[in-house]
Amino acid sequence: MTGDDGTDACPARVVKASKKNNNTRIMNSPNNIISAKNLVKQVPALDHSINKSLTILNGVNLEIKPAETIAIVGASGSGKSTLLGLLAGLDLASAGEIIVLGQPLNTLDEDGRAHLRARHVGFVFQSFQLIPGLTALENVMLPLELLADKQAEAKSRELLKRVGLEQRLKHYPKQLSGGEQQRVAIARAFATQPNILFADEPTGNLDPNTGQHIIQLLLDMNREHQTTLVLVTHDENLSKQCQRRLTLENGILQDESS
Amino acid sequence: MNNLLLAWRLLKRDWHVGELRILIFALLIAVASITSIGLFTQRIQVAIQDQSGRFLGADLLLSSPQPVKQRYLQQASKLQLQTSQGIQFASVLVANDQFQLASIKAIDRHYPLRGTIKISAQLAGPETEQLHGPEPGQIWLSSRLFQQLNIDIGDRVELGETHLIASAHLQQDPGQAGNFLALAPRALMHMDDIPATGIVKPGSRLRYQYLFAGRHQQREAFERWLKPKLNTTDRLIGGKQGSLPLRSAMDRAEQYLAMASMLSVLLAGIAIAMAANRYSQRHYDQTALMRCMGASQSTLLQLYAIQVLLLGVLASILGCLLGYISQEGLVMLLADFIPSDLPPVNAQPFISGFISGIITLTGFSLPAILRLKTVSPLRVLRRELTPLPLSAFAIYSLALGSLITIMWWQSGNFKLTAIVLIGILAIAAILNVLSYTLMRMSTLLLTPLSGPWRSGLQQLIRHRQTNQIQILAFGMALMILITILLLRTDLLDRWQAQLPEQAPNHFVINIQTYEVKQVQDFFQQHQIHSEGLFPMVRGRISALNNEPVRQALNEQAREDESLKRELNLSWATHMQAHNRLTQGQWWQTTEHGQHLISIEQRLAQRLGIALGDRISFQIADQTITATVTSLRSVQWDSFQPNFYIIFPPGVIEQYPVSFISSFYLPPGNKQLINILIKQHPGVTVIEIDAIMNQVRSILTQATLAIEYVMLFVLFAGLMVLLASIQSSMDERLHEATILRTLGARKDFLRKTQLTEFSLMGLFAGILAVAGAELVAYGLYTQVFSLDFEPHIGMWLIGICSSMIIITISGLLSTRKVVQQSPMKTLQSI
Repeated sequence: MTGDDGTDACPARVVKASKKNNNTRIMNSPNNIISAKNLVKQVPALDHSINKSLTILNGVNLEIKPAETIAIVGASGSGKSTLLGLLAGLDLASAGEIIVLGQPLNTLDEDGRAHLRARHVGFVFQSFQLIPGLTALENVMLPLELLADKQAEAKSRELLKRVGLEQRLKHYPKQLSGGEQQRVAIARAFATQPNILFADEPTGNLDPNTGQHIIQLLLDMNREHQTTLVLVTHDENLSKQCQRRLTLENGILQDESS
Repeated sequence: MNNLLLAWRLLKRDWHVGELRILIFALLIAVASITSIGLFTQRIQVAIQDQSGRFLGADLLLSSPQPVKQRYLQQASKLQLQTSQGIQFASVLVANDQFQLASIKAIDRHYPLRGTIKISAQLAGPETEQLHGPEPGQIWLSSRLFQQLNIDIGDRVELGETHLIASAHLQQDPGQAGNFLALAPRALMHMDDIPATGIVKPGSRLRYQYLFAGRHQQREAFERWLKPKLNTTDRLIGGKQGSLPLRSAMDRAEQYLAMASMLSVLLAGIAIAMAANRYSQRHYDQTALMRCMGASQSTLLQLYAIQVLLLGVLASILGCLLGYISQEGLVMLLADFIPSDLPPVNAQPFISGFISGIITLTGFSLPAILRLKTVSPLRVLRRELTPLPLSAFAIYSLALGSLITIMWWQSGNFKLTAIVLIGILAIAAILNVLSYTLMRMSTLLLTPLSGPWRSGLQQLIRHRQTNQIQILAFGMALMILITILLLRTDLLDRWQAQLPEQAPNHFVINIQTYEVKQVQDFFQQHQIHSEGLFPMVRGRISALNNEPVRQALNEQAREDESLKRELNLSWATHMQAHNRLTQGQWWQTTEHGQHLISIEQRLAQRLGIALGDRISFQIADQTITATVTSLRSVQWDSFQPNFYIIFPPGVIEQYPVSFISSFYLPPGNKQLINILIKQHPGVTVIEIDAIMNQVRSILTQATLAIEYVMLFVLFAGLMVLLASIQSSMDERLHEATILRTLGARKDFLRKTQLTEFSLMGLFAGILAVAGAELVAYGLYTQVFSLDFEPHIGMWLIGICSSMIIITISGLLSTRKVVQQSPMKTLQSI
């Protein structure tokens, strides 16, 4: 949760992180919040008779500037979610380099990447990923509680109010409609005021009407918080509303807007 | 601190949605079971010891041929023990020109310290309980002495140089424990009259008796203090070391309770492991999400570890409370059987219950919890990513380690712990193979089946791996229950069967050779059932392999009781029915007349005697040497004449011999004893009804205790069943819902489930009964020294119960799949 003035809600962690990154290379282009170079992702082929691995991403290059909104589109199975996972540091690339907020991800271990996510990254998923045992309020509070934020409840109430769910604080996910669940997920994603928001098919499980409302909410909040939005979708309508639209095909990423 | 608060909040939320119920209930039962069994065992042991105390007249009895050092008594009084002193000796009572040898006990005004003396005003008249013995100048005589001396209440009898007034029939004296077989008719008099009798002189054969009673801790302290100071002629008998029949019964009761407690821990452990596994699985998504939100592995591990620990502490405290309540319930239930002045509950069982709870929870749930640490954050995008399980070695080591710790600690019996554990491991391996075979074989049924039956079987086969684990887990739980039932029924039945209603209640000794035929005729004439007359020659072990016994044996063996007195030697053509050959061969007819012996196995063990050893006996003034050709186990609590040493016929007949027998006489036929004694004045009849009633009362207590303990084991077993059904419920719900969505009718689904669950029940049942038989075989032959017989009826009952339980629980748990709309079920998954 690095604010504009550079303060952090958890100073101890910042010290730890900065020590860890003393030797890391400063990224070439300081204007990019995310950059990926020659990104390759291979997975072992499921069919063991084929003695080859399957290449999902084959030399992806990408640069994303702060507060930009990017849509990654492509057919099912084209590797969109894989790319998202790599950019968010949820998985490691087979080759190539990803730099997020000046930190090369391949130099960080799993806990180091988790640390980066904790304060700079938010997520919205197609299947909402709300914890069924927690109420709407508790779901939003969770990332703040992990950061030991004493204002967790107040901030969460405020966010839920922002997404129009102030009457639904004590409801459990199964008591909410799909659209409401996604609104809770959006509130949760913005709870830690992340620099980057990754969204994986955020309207995939919603009807067009609800989907449109969610897109609007996502983009509005994105503007309010000046967050970089990277979303994966095959929703034409959604992708058109982003500043840039990238297509993933045969493991190669092409910028349609360029 | 932050993690602690967050963990507490997460735990509360999990509790709120019912995620933890099975886990916490299983733990609650484990702790309650350990605590209440601990408290209960402790109290029942005290109760049984008290019973034995009543049997002895005190908690501790020190018997010595000469007066003991004064400081012994000072130490006892320092420890606030009550004391009583007495002298026991054999002497002749004279009245009406009749002489009768009697076993006389002179007692002080404190006697007895435990229990009461029962007397009556006439033969077989109503008994009254007395807290003290006769006043000075009086003597209480057993009824037979009244008859033999031809006197009535109020008559005078001569003892040594004095006369005493026979003032009551002595029916029961708590001090009659010990070597009751060797005693002549009994008489009780006051210590103050001893000087007047002139009997106690230097060289008189008598034993000074010192009785002690007090609180458990004090008497244990006294025992510890006293034991090293005693010399070889002193005998210290504690409540626990009462007579052989009592000791044997108590040992079995304790072994049984220890085992029941071990089994309930094991069952709860299985339930905890299954519930923790499910808990872990259901937290994969939450964990992945939290990883995604930036929680580090160590933060997550801390969060879950704190939750488990909090859960453990809470459930253990509640378990201790529940254990205390159930133990109090038990005390109320057994109010008629256990003394009202039970010692207060001490903290030890609570501490051990609490610690055992934490150990059980850690040992059984840690593998599942550690697995959460390895959940990949990528799971939020790819749900199929499941974390790697811990190595099988780590999982089993943890569970086994915690089990061994608790079991050994609780039972205090390493042999029993090892047998149960190794047995269970071996059985798990065998049952796993059996379960695999059954699953493979079930595929053969696919061809002849159709419709829902086929679908149910397919479902079972499709989930072969998970089902096999569930069948094994439930099978093992059921196996333990069946084993307990078998043991409960078998051990108690056999126990009780050893004391059937018509068990011998009288011993008759000192029958001379010329009287054997007449006594046999007497039994026949009055239809008295007897196991026969056994010859008895008194002899002392003098040498082992031609070396004097004191040199041949080590220090410990040299102190054995059997070397300090004459043993009853006997001869026999055939072995007695309740004896069992454990080593060697019983003699053939051709070996009669040879110097061979069969020896009781525990005596052989204590003295380090093996087959082929040569033992010399001092009989009268002669020595006879014989070779050990067999070892026997002897059922000491059978109330039959039992012998340590038996010769073949034709070896010791020339020595002074008398015969012994035991028989049953209904309470109303006591006059027959008098007729027998009138016909054969030399014989001595010993009534053992009182001793037997006390043994019965102890057995009744033990039975009730065991049934109560069974409740915990049953609850723990039920938890295993619920956890086992729960563990696969999500997948079942999901599949059944998809089938319904695809148009399967309710009836089809019901039959599919019925087939699957009943087949699982069938397989688990087969596993359970087969395993129970294996365990029972091991325990009967190795621990309880009982003969093993297969339990045919149990196969039928076990398998049917397993099918019924699994089918009903399975159908009940999945009923919403059939009743609820598929949409709703899908939403709730």
